[in-house]
Amino acid sequence: MVSLSITKRLPGFTLDVSWEADDPVVGLFGPSGAGKTLTLQCLAGLVRPDRGRIALNGRVFFDSATGVDLPPQARRLGYVFQGYALFPHLTVEGNVAFGLRSRPREERIERTRMVLDRLGLAGLERRYPGELSGGQQQRAALGRALAVDPDLLLLDEPLSALDAPLRRQLREELGRIIREWGKATVLVTHDLAEAYQLADRIVVYESGQVLQAAPKSELLWQPTSERVARLIGVRNLLRGTVLKATLEIIQLRWRGQTLEAVNSPSRLFLPPPGTSLPFFVRPEYVRLIRKDRPGLDPGHHMNVMEGEVVGELDQGTTWTLLFRVNAPGALSRDSYDLEIEIPKLVYEILEVARDRWWQISIHRGSIQVLPSE
Amino acid sequence: MDLFPLWLSLRVSLAATALTLVVGIPVAWLLARKPFPGRDLLEALTVFPLVLPPTVLGYYLLVVIGGQGPIGRLLAAVGFELAFTWRAAVLAAAIGSIALLIKSAQAGFETVDQRLEQAARTLGRSEWSIFWAVTLPLAWRSVLAGTVLAFCRAMGEFGITLMVAGSIPGKTQTLPLAIYDQVQANQMGEANVLALIAVGVVAMLLFGLSRLMRLRY
Amino acid sequence: MMTAMRGALWLMLLGAWLALGGGPAAAGADVPSLTVFAAADLGFAFKEIVPRFEKSVGAKVSLVLGSSGNLATQIEHGAPADVFFAADQVFVDRLAARGALIAETRALYAQGRLVLATRKSSGLKLTQLRELLDPRVRHVAIANPLHAPYGKAAEEALRTVGVWEAVKPKLVYGENIRHALQFIQTGAADAGILALSLANALEIDWSPIDPKLHQPLTQTAAVVRRSQRPELGLAFIQFVNGPEGRSIMKRYGFLLPGES
Repeated sequence: MVSLSITKRLPGFTLDVSWEADDPVVGLFGPSGAGKTLTLQCLAGLVRPDRGRIALNGRVFFDSATGVDLPPQARRLGYVFQGYALFPHLTVEGNVAFGLRSRPREERIERTRMVLDRLGLAGLERRYPGELSGGQQQRAALGRALAVDPDLLLLDEPLSALDAPLRRQLREELGRIIREWGKATVLVTHDLAEAYQLADRIVVYESGQVLQAAPKSELLWQPTSERVARLIGVRNLLRGTVLKATLEIIQLRWRGQTLEAVNSPSRLFLPPPGTSLPFFVRPEYVRLIRKDRPGLDPGHHMNVMEGEVVGELDQGTTWTLLFRVNAPGALSRDSYDLEIEIPKLVYEILEVARDRWWQISIHRGSIQVLPSE
Repeated sequence: MDLFPLWLSLRVSLAATALTLVVGIPVAWLLARKPFPGRDLLEALTVFPLVLPPTVLGYYLLVVIGGQGPIGRLLAAVGFELAFTWRAAVLAAAIGSIALLIKSAQAGFETVDQRLEQAARTLGRSEWSIFWAVTLPLAWRSVLAGTVLAFCRAMGEFGITLMVAGSIPGKTQTLPLAIYDQVQANQMGEANVLALIAVGVVAMLLFGLSRLMRLRY
Repeated sequence: MMTAMRGALWLMLLGAWLALGGGPAAAGADVPSLTVFAAADLGFAFKEIVPRFEKSVGAKVSLVLGSSGNLATQIEHGAPADVFFAADQVFVDRLAARGALIAETRALYAQGRLVLATRKSSGLKLTQLRELLDPRVRHVAIANPLHAPYGKAAEEALRTVGVWEAVKPKLVYGENIRHALQFIQTGAADAGILALSLANALEIDWSPIDPKLHQPLTQTAAVVRRSQRPELGLAFIQFVNGPEGRSIMKRYGFLLPGES
């Protein structure tokens, strides 16, 4: 259980964050310069916060109130730096064994061997970091951090030093290694896919503050604010005006349409009518209503709108349709209102290339309303 | 041909370089790492031996360590001879050359990636251990260059030595002093031979060390 | 890395061996019986006198040459000199006043003579100080008047003749009189004022300068109070002033006590 609550003031930047996590892997996610790496450095004892408290499993690392500040050497952590910071003058073996100096020779040799084997570095012992590939360097850096059997593993942008094609492949490998070793981990990344794949809980950072800390699925489906939604790259982030709000339903006016959305069960949220609220709709949850089947089914078809497909983007296995609602007034985006995502097969069956006018339906559960800021 | 000055100079220079390393490396590390109050003063102190004329420096040093000086008296009380012995020549050579080592080593330490030292910290190593295992090995070229420079400067040390050790033949007359003496006595032949030997010895040393430098770590 | 470490190790071993005294022993590593601190201009003369003294007395002499000023400072601060031969009385007097010398042993051993010197290959032949005004004479070397007795005397002579101000821009100062000699030998200076005792070098032409033009260069010696062998020091002074010493000194152009 990592418990962290710190403030640190730097020229032009203030870090003021507080979060707790009991999950195996915590991901600190956010844009560059948000304070994620700084947090990691404070966790490791490489930077001293101005005020606050840091504890791991009840062991206090830092507490400004009682004057506790353990040096990095005493915290029993493993830290993998961005760019790995491998010792260029030592071999892979030397790097991995570096933290084991205080142990008896036998144990040192045995442990080094074990780490090298488990990380697939056998045979590379005598190489120098400069002679290794990106993936090998990453594993060597991991090995060095894991060899000392740390209580907590800290990873700073573990994949950003690699080329894009390699990154995806190594992401899986990294995830496997982390789970295999079973070490509590805090990792920093600006890539949401990475955070999503590797972490159980995600803490969203922006400008030195925590916007939301939640298990990853909750974050993805229920971002708590427009800012978070933007950071996690939500599409169809729109704005509407409240018509009516009950505990179950929120009615919104958007583009001349009346939309009904479910009020989130975790949020007892009753915005007064007239409030402008952000909301979003996942592109893959917008349905094109088939023309060959007659009539609308009230059980399935909700928030029905009419409009025209004004463009499409090829996404490889799907098409993103740019849809314009048939209503007067300004469009949500320059030339369209909504993005709709459909598999290529559906596109072909429905002959969207030819037939541009459509009715769409959005289930009220698929409209996510966000609190106004 | 009396080669005593050559052996004396080698002995003195080696001892002086050792002394320079023991004092200079910690100072260089200090200057390279933490800003601290009085740091600028320390930095100025290390270079001022290069600025003052050697004979003047020698004079001030003599006043302190000579028979009438505070340190001189202290040493005399415990029976330790410093002024006008080869030990004074070592001191003179060390003072004259320490700035070269400090500046070189300092630059070397400054270019060591601090993240490597941080990594070492997270792996549980003490600051002392980190210096020997990470900082120094990565700065070894600069330290070596500084050491060689310091040694060469020590071999050529003249003005300060002349004052605090004297040019006593067979006792404190180092190679540069001997060459000077020959020149003054118009014995150019002997002077040339000694000068050639001095340059030759140092050239061999530099050649040997430049081969070392080409090694990768 | 291993070969580098090994190489460094060997170097350090060699260094340790040398530092602890390895290598050929000091020439005359046996402690010299007598250490003589002598002014620079006595170089040539004493190089002949010293061996003769050594033979006559059976002692070993260590001869240390330098500028009188430096030597005096060193003696004051504890240099291991037994006897001091200064180029001018003033150094001896000052040290004696501070109690560093045995005043009773103070003895005049020579009177320095100035000469006007030129390099043979320069083609100039000067006999009068006034000739230094000649435009062909671009640089004139003397010892530094501030601290070298021969330099001071040179200035006095030039002033007496009335050419000091005119010649001053052409002057180059040597650390000591031997230094001034080198300026002339190497051609850095066209002419100069030297000590007669040094002027008998191959490349030099010289003319004597009237001693009345300057204060007499009374060269004095004395035994150092701290000496462990004062009798030997005194014996050396007496040897220099004795028949053997005097004849050598005379040959090197020193005016001796009792002569004019």
